[in-house]
Amino acid sequence: MQGVLGAFAEIDATVEAIQDLRKKNFGDITVYTPTPRHELEDALDAPKSGVRRFTLIGGLLGVTFGYWVAIWISDYWPLVVGGKPVASWIPYTIIGFELMVLFGSLSTVFGMFALSRIPRLTMTVGYDPRFSHGDYGIWVVAGADRVAEATDVLRRHGALEVRNER
Amino acid sequence: MAPPRRAPERERYPNIPTADNRLPGVRDYEQVDRDVIATLSPTLGWFAALGLAILALLLGIVAWTYQIYEGLGAAGYQPPVMWGVYIVSFVFWVGIGHAGTLISAILYLFRAGFRTTIYRAAEAMTVFAVMTAGLFPILHLGRPWKFFWLIPYPNWRLIWPNPKSPLVWDVFAILTYLTVSATFFYVGLIPDIAVLRDQERNPIRKRIFAVLALGWRNSDREWRHFTRAYLFLAAFATPLVLSVHSVVSFDFAMALTPGWHATIFPPYFVAGAIFSGIGMVFTIIIPIRKYFKLEHMVTINDLDAAAKLCLFTSMVVGLAYITEFQVAWMSGNAVEQEYFWNRVFGQWWWAAWIMLICNMVLPLSLFSQKLRRNTSWLFILSIFINIGMWFERFVIVIPSLSHEFEPWQWGGYHPTWVDYFILIGSFGWFFMWFLLFIRQLPVMAISEVKEIIPPKLRHAAVGHHHLTHGEVAEPRVTGTIRPAGGTH
Repeated sequence: MQGVLGAFAEIDATVEAIQDLRKKNFGDITVYTPTPRHELEDALDAPKSGVRRFTLIGGLLGVTFGYWVAIWISDYWPLVVGGKPVASWIPYTIIGFELMVLFGSLSTVFGMFALSRIPRLTMTVGYDPRFSHGDYGIWVVAGADRVAEATDVLRRHGALEVRNER
Repeated sequence: MAPPRRAPERERYPNIPTADNRLPGVRDYEQVDRDVIATLSPTLGWFAALGLAILALLLGIVAWTYQIYEGLGAAGYQPPVMWGVYIVSFVFWVGIGHAGTLISAILYLFRAGFRTTIYRAAEAMTVFAVMTAGLFPILHLGRPWKFFWLIPYPNWRLIWPNPKSPLVWDVFAILTYLTVSATFFYVGLIPDIAVLRDQERNPIRKRIFAVLALGWRNSDREWRHFTRAYLFLAAFATPLVLSVHSVVSFDFAMALTPGWHATIFPPYFVAGAIFSGIGMVFTIIIPIRKYFKLEHMVTINDLDAAAKLCLFTSMVVGLAYITEFQVAWMSGNAVEQEYFWNRVFGQWWWAAWIMLICNMVLPLSLFSQKLRRNTSWLFILSIFINIGMWFERFVIVIPSLSHEFEPWQWGGYHPTWVDYFILIGSFGWFFMWFLLFIRQLPVMAISEVKEIIPPKLRHAAVGHHHLTHGEVAEPRVTGTIRPAGGTH
């Protein structure tokens, strides 16, 4: 993958550079930021995170499994007291609830990992340690014919450093 | 004519606006990294404290080994009191954990800004406190190596646990709580470990941080999914924390024993848990703040706000204590009335009064703003709260069991050296993990603290100056600049 990496000290300069790059139809833009900021999200106009689907599915599976395992155990080893039904949904709600939280939380984390594509073994191109420290970064995927144009946009908006990577 | 003389205005601090937290003593993102990373170099004092914690843990291990060899009789159980220090300590440690989740998850959903700088230490406290609590039911078993029989799994004995038993609910609740709080803790740590990875010079530590950071790069894609996942985890942890101590309270409330069989137990236990946990947060955060010189990050305003929370939960707990007496009085149940009379004037009167004074009376001092902003008093008070809350659980467990329905059932209880050593050992275990944590991982959530620092701007920089430590910050007009933690 070939592209240009720009580092910025100020957030407004970063936002303007993103807007300019998008205007010039650079499609594949990655922004690095030490902390999440809404203005970067707005500038990128990224779709909503899909983590919520993992949460919903995990939670539903958990609550179903919780009730099921409690009812199955009661039927498998019936403790009949006073002729009452062996499976009692009220106390089993505790097990259903706890497993809903457990499965829902774990699948949320799994969803976050899968969608963010972590764990990642190599840092690949287009990253600089300063992006976790204090600076913002923009990585634009650009073919050989558009590298000069992308570099120009990043420089014009006050990038501290611009470098080509592949 | 000279202006009329007016009395000098009393020095007043503003009430803390919850969502609008500012750190005037922090200039920029880089300073956050520097100040937090500076806490990671071990010192002689830290080694001494760690040594002490390990020594305490060894005492506990010795006592437990002796108990396994001798049997549970070594632990001072005397019929009818077959729940003793271990169950008291189990409830105590689960309770300690609750404030961590309250601060990290519930206050996150409520947008309470003062949580930002204290939540990481509180969340670590939760994980280690639940790890400690989980040991006690195992210590309380005659054959502790069979503890896994409580988990429903296919086995050759074809025996399954009874899902109507509160002890089985406990297993589900505590294991879920431990797993979810540890997950929440680690997920929150990932971006901060990435900071350590990028700043570390020692190649071995850098490699370890690189593995733990999972290749986190601070990209917009990662942050987008991270903030969503964090929000959902907080939303799961919130009802979870309420359910866990409710389930712990069912261990008591499901029995017919006088003093236990009450519908007030779940909210009473949850409020008590949060109160005790906030006490422990003060015990931990005040020395950290002073020792690591982080006064400009954990500001006095943050402590003031947490102290208000402490006062509120203390009053909820106090109300629960009084309600218990009122319910017994109005029940017309002679056994219940006898039990509550015995609680404050009978054989365990001293324990009940320690509880009432430490948990109900002393925290009322926090109505004074001066005391809420006095860290020495907050620390001293937190020790009293820790003691008071341990005795609250003692008062719940021991007097009820030693004073049941019939006078011939009444008895006494004398903990032995084994009980005391294991109790000391549990503090050693907890503080060992906590001390290891504060020197290896960031004690403050670096990326979340950065959210409340105004970002550098190219265009609005004219006329702006960075505030020095102690200067009062005025709200800055930053256009559309706003942090993006959580809900979108």
